[in-house]
Amino acid sequence: MAKVALENVVKTYGPVTAVGDVSFTVQDGEFVALVGPSGCGKTTTLNLIAGLIPMSGGNIRIGDKLVNDLDPKDRDIAMVFQNYALYPNKTVAKNLAFPLQMRRLSKDEILRKVTETARVLDITHLLERKPRELSGGQQQRVALGRALVRDPRAFLMDEPLSNLDAKLRVQMRTELKRFHQDLKATIIYVTHDQLEAVTMADKMAVMNGGTLQQYDSPKNVFDHPVNTFVASFVGSPAMSLVPLRRVVDGDTVALAGNGWQMPLSPANARKALGAKSDKLILGARHSTIALHDTPHAGTVPGRVYTVEPTGDVTFVQVHVDGAIVIASLAPDVPVRSDTNVWLGFDQTRMHLFDGETQMALTQT
Amino acid sequence: MSGRVDGWRWAGRVFLVLILLFTAVPMVWMLLTSIKSQFAAMQYPPQWWPKEPTLQNYTKLLDPTNPVGNDFLRYMWNSFYVSLATTVLGVAVAVPAAYAFSRFRFPGRTFLFFAVLLRNMFPAVVFLMPLFILMRWLGLVGTHGSLILTYLTFGLPLSIWLLKGFYDNIPIQLEQAARIDGATRFQAFLLIVMPLSVPGILATSIFSFIGAWNEYVYAATFLNRQDQLTLPVGIQRFFAEFATDWPGLMAATFLMSVPVVVLFLVLQRYFVRALTEGAVKS
Repeated sequence: MAKVALENVVKTYGPVTAVGDVSFTVQDGEFVALVGPSGCGKTTTLNLIAGLIPMSGGNIRIGDKLVNDLDPKDRDIAMVFQNYALYPNKTVAKNLAFPLQMRRLSKDEILRKVTETARVLDITHLLERKPRELSGGQQQRVALGRALVRDPRAFLMDEPLSNLDAKLRVQMRTELKRFHQDLKATIIYVTHDQLEAVTMADKMAVMNGGTLQQYDSPKNVFDHPVNTFVASFVGSPAMSLVPLRRVVDGDTVALAGNGWQMPLSPANARKALGAKSDKLILGARHSTIALHDTPHAGTVPGRVYTVEPTGDVTFVQVHVDGAIVIASLAPDVPVRSDTNVWLGFDQTRMHLFDGETQMALTQT
Repeated sequence: MSGRVDGWRWAGRVFLVLILLFTAVPMVWMLLTSIKSQFAAMQYPPQWWPKEPTLQNYTKLLDPTNPVGNDFLRYMWNSFYVSLATTVLGVAVAVPAAYAFSRFRFPGRTFLFFAVLLRNMFPAVVFLMPLFILMRWLGLVGTHGSLILTYLTFGLPLSIWLLKGFYDNIPIQLEQAARIDGATRFQAFLLIVMPLSVPGILATSIFSFIGAWNEYVYAATFLNRQDQLTLPVGIQRFFAEFATDWPGLMAATFLMSVPVVVLFLVLQRYFVRALTEGAVKS
């Protein structure tokens, strides 16, 4: 296994920039998830690492080797595709053997490695079948097996679980994580599902519009999103964002909406003063918002829009100043739609963003 | 409600039976006539079923020592040679062309692709004189080369178009996987894509073979020496020379249709796949 480093990688198609100036380093043995919405450039980035499409600029290193101009076959990586890309006219055994044959291993060694990989993945009984005779989950395992059968320097995975049904997806997620731990493999994993990224990855690279937004551990991305995009993309349900005004009155700094003000704690006040203008965005995750049926000091008025019981928790969507805020309640607390409520934000766990730049405001 | 549906279904069946009769009856009559004696074939009222069936027409046509048979076998060989050359050359060009149209984005790709199809907007006869003049310049009139070239210009667009549909349906990830697994671009094409496109190549080959095998107008115009003629033109000659020998003519026609029908029956599975796979996205 080896580390993989991207330096100012750019990919353009004519006037369109698919990937713009992306840099990050995946350490040896690290599991990194590339996440973002459709068309954010994550799959393009993966294909650039694989060498399947030529770069427009920048450098990619695998280990200490600059691989910019190397063919995919010379980069010594393995890839798992979203549609598995199993060779339909070959049996499972031959699918697994193909990468080894291409590398001119001896027949004995190929047989030994194929058998061993099949044993590890529990697909020995499928070896003589053709891919179309397998279920989706079995095809997924074979695709994984074809990547595992040789010792590549890194694994690239392009939404490998997204074609599986929900139950199998959760099961394979656990297995993949276990593989990573056992193999100490360098894995770069593309997904649009932030939950997969958060649960499996050591680090996540959040992309949007072809640029890297944030590259950090899932916990840091979750706790300290750098901008409103990351804040709203990571976490389920998403972080609620409310555009508000900053009001400074002597020593006190407050957030103001339509007919109400919420004084900020000293730490938050310092953050708020760092904004370029009076436009601020308040961000809060559902678990940090308290709901009251009567006004208290520092609470914010709102009106219940919908109530969504999920069993464990009940999510309550509340209209606050034209924006929707999602709060959570224990399932036995009664709430009704179209009633007035007051929201208490936990000032130690709330986020403030600059309304102009959308960037997180941090204490300076 | 269900009565109406049944009514339509019956109407459909009647229609299909009529179509079947329309296409099959001439064939059956051809076959029946070909095993009659000449006398029986000319009888009126006609013998619906041959009273004394005979294979002598076939033995005559397939006997190289018989002058008629000798001519017939030569025509057949000429047709076979021209059709096979057209097919092999056509596939050799169409496969890489279709693959490139399917996989690569290059300047002028759309324009070129439609330019390739442009030929099919005109009936073949429109090009008869221009091509004849062209072939004279090239000094190819009276050679099989002129026919092969002509059939290629007609057959290639369709072949490329059919094959492109086939390649479009082979996921590009298969090649990408192969390249990551250690194959060069060409190996990925040869080892992974080619085996998967065999049905498409077979179907395309049948198309171009049948097209060349059946073609009449160009063969009649470009060829003049009797020993060069292809079957359609040769049989036309039979018609002129042995106008009264209906059974012989029918036997010759039947023998001419045999390779086409056999090819089609053997490969129809691939044929249907080729026509539908390009159309339906999975």
